Amino acid sequence: MSGKMLTLTIDGRTVSVPPGTTIWEAARLLGIDIPVLCHEPRMEPVGVCRLCVVDVGERTLAASCVRLCEDGMNVVSQSAEIEHHRRMLTLLLLSEQPESSAREATTGDDALYALARRQGIDEIPFPDGARGHPRGRDDSSPVIAVDHQACILCDRCIRGCNELQHNHVITRSGKGYRARIAFDLDVPMGSSSCVACGECAAVCPTGALTHKALQHWRREWAGGEE
Amino acid sequence: MRLLKAMLALQEAKGAVTDADLQRLARDEGVPLHRLQGLRSFYPAFREQPGPPVQIQLCRDVVCRLAAGHDHCQRVRAAVGDRADVEVREVSCIGLCDQAPAMLLNGQPRRGRLEDVRACLGGTGSDSACVAGTTPARRWPTDPYASPQARYGSLRRLLAAGRPEEVIASLKQAALRGLGGAAFPTGLKWELTRHAAGAEKYVVCNADESEPGTFKDRLLLEQLPHLVVEGMLIGAWVIGARRGIIYLRHEYVHAAQALRQEIERAYATGALGQGIFGSDFGFDLELFISPGGYILGEETALLEALEDRRGEPRNKPPFPTNAGLHGRPTLINNVETFAAVPAICWHGPDWWASQGKPGYKGLKFVSVSGDVARPGVHCVPWGSTVREVLELCGGVAGGRKLKAFSPGGASTPFLPASMLDTPLDFDALKAVGSALGTGAMVFVAEHRNLLDVVLAQVRFFRNESCGKCVPCRLGSQKAVAMVEQVLAGAREALPVDLGELHETMARTSICGLGQVALLPLIDALRRFPREPSLQSLRRVRS
Ligand SMILES: Cc1cc2nc3c(=O)[nH]c(=O)nc-3n(C[C@H](O)[C@H](O)[C@H](O)COP(=O)(O)O)c2cc1C
Ligand code: SF4
Repeated sequence: MSGKMLTLTIDGRTVSVPPGTTIWEAARLLGIDIPVLCHEPRMEPVGVCRLCVVDVGERTLAASCVRLCEDGMNVVSQSAEIEHHRRMLTLLLLSEQPESSAREATTGDDALYALARRQGIDEIPFPDGARGHPRGRDDSSPVIAVDHQACILCDRCIRGCNELQHNHVITRSGKGYRARIAFDLDVPMGSSSCVACGECAAVCPTGALTHKALQHWRREWAGGEE
Repeated sequence: MRLLKAMLALQEAKGAVTDADLQRLARDEGVPLHRLQGLRSFYPAFREQPGPPVQIQLCRDVVCRLAAGHDHCQRVRAAVGDRADVEVREVSCIGLCDQAPAMLLNGQPRRGRLEDVRACLGGTGSDSACVAGTTPARRWPTDPYASPQARYGSLRRLLAAGRPEEVIASLKQAALRGLGGAAFPTGLKWELTRHAAGAEKYVVCNADESEPGTFKDRLLLEQLPHLVVEGMLIGAWVIGARRGIIYLRHEYVHAAQALRQEIERAYATGALGQGIFGSDFGFDLELFISPGGYILGEETALLEALEDRRGEPRNKPPFPTNAGLHGRPTLINNVETFAAVPAICWHGPDWWASQGKPGYKGLKFVSVSGDVARPGVHCVPWGSTVREVLELCGGVAGGRKLKAFSPGGASTPFLPASMLDTPLDFDALKAVGSALGTGAMVFVAEHRNLLDVVLAQVRFFRNESCGKCVPCRLGSQKAVAMVEQVLAGAREALPVDLGELHETMARTSICGLGQVALLPLIDALRRFPREPSLQSLRRVRS
């Protein structure tokens, strides 16, 4: 980070940051919490979930996790319009989710569920993707459970596996609505080159990738059914 | 380009890119398996297993649908029956809208009427039914050269005694704007790329033309490839690039042949290579064949493909002018944009301006299809009215009355017949709530079901979404699903206001595809209040 500091306003408040700072990071300095699903500060941002969109006065909203600050920028991170879009995006994602979240049921920290609670969502108007186009599960790994239906394609597992751990196992496979995550040449996780480091399950925001041991213990505690 | 080229070569040679192939490629190239799986599964040109000996790819998009009916693909499947040696797949528009319905037979463009399919299956029609590339050659007013020997004359002149700034000034004075859909001022783009910092720069020609109803670039590439190559050369000289790439959709096999010949000829005559026409300017040009998908026409998705990744659009900024191919300044223009440059340089910007109708500057290639007597490409003065273009094409087919027309491509809203006198111009069409886009005009006669037409456009965008971002990946799918449920009687009313969903997609999607995916439908609902086919979508559950 070099060069002179940039000064911008976010929601009417002024902040100075070094060049290369994203709007999301600058907002954090001001204590403004912009919601995210795909972003994880340890990883290169990808800007795919679009929850973090902000208004910088352009034709379209900008994803604050990838958009760099510019001098004199005037950013609006909270408005009725933005809240409306965030709610619509959350509803779209929820309409693809399975009956229940394995993460919510284990560690209790499903980020999509938390977002839905924060937005007071109690009904999903869109057609149920889990019923229309079920995506299936992959229980082949001894330690990690894969529920493709819960995957929101945030690419966190991909970046965790490939960028953070350098294990290079996970990709997006397919395209458009049919896109999903896959291991190696799209083989079951248990027969892939996965070394079971657990990074993907650790960074997954939903119930798509969860540690099996926790599920196992949960069942034990619940009275040993199954 | 290495990985995708290697995979395309495998596909070409063996009819598939199998797991064993990718394992070998991963080892040889030192790349992880998942990366190759990401590529193979993203691009439609690749298949995991070889197909049967006869592979038919039928266009399912709007113009072929108008020509052959909404159940054409089903009827073709029925005609094929259970023959194990034949495979029928429905694909997005293949750019043969002037010869609709169309298909690819083992990758070769053919007419796709039921009788053509039957003839091909009987083993008699495979060559006689050949279509593309047979458009008779015409003398086009944007070609300043009377003979092959005179070609590259503008470049020669510039190399002998020109200045790059003059070219930029000419393009500005000619008011040339990007003809790939976004209408960005060309002179400004060249200037930005010229001044962008970087020792290494690139020139890329976007020849991925894949929007339903758009086929003017195909004709330009087949008939005027020398203008495209010269336009790129002039661009390279202006911005200071030494390497260029033409990114061509793989379905344009005749265009590929014409380009290969032209590039070879240009090298042979000293127009390409080192020391061009005795100057110290050098430029190498190569043709890259796209492994497929409409989204690759989005300029940053195209760059991702050239960098051997999944063709998913980038978050912008930065723009290619500053950070394009391999992060370096890159000049990307459409085929028609590049092809206009030699004439502007040769005759001067005043000549170009004088070619337009009063108050307008320049010439425009339009692709005309749908319910017209003689679909095809025409080069018309800028500012010609839609009515004039329709008349050039013999009017509405069968002497019917016109219901609506889309002036510029899949995302440009349909206008009613009462607006036929609107001039073809970016601003004039914007003022009436549509757009000139690429100049792909689709006409729809009075007896047509407008909902079926606009829904075909929305389905096209849904089918071609890359899936990178949430609003487009899920929004386009849910919108189509909801509308289909209402049409099938499974729902009484739409559960969500499509206008609101469109707003979210328009404001939050990464690229132009998601931003416009629902527009044809949303706009038709507003603009055609009495259209019978649209009535069932007016109820929204409250
Ligand atoms: C989804 C999508 C598809 C596109 N497809 C094409 C295309 O096939 N050909 C093209 O020239 N431009 C296409 N564009 C526009 C390009 O991104 C880019 O603006 C254009 O190539 C720039 O050239 P121009 O300024 O000469 O028009 C597309 C844009 C989007 C958003
Ligand atoms: S808008 Fe659609 S096509 Fe464009 S990046 Fe997003 S998902 Fe891909």
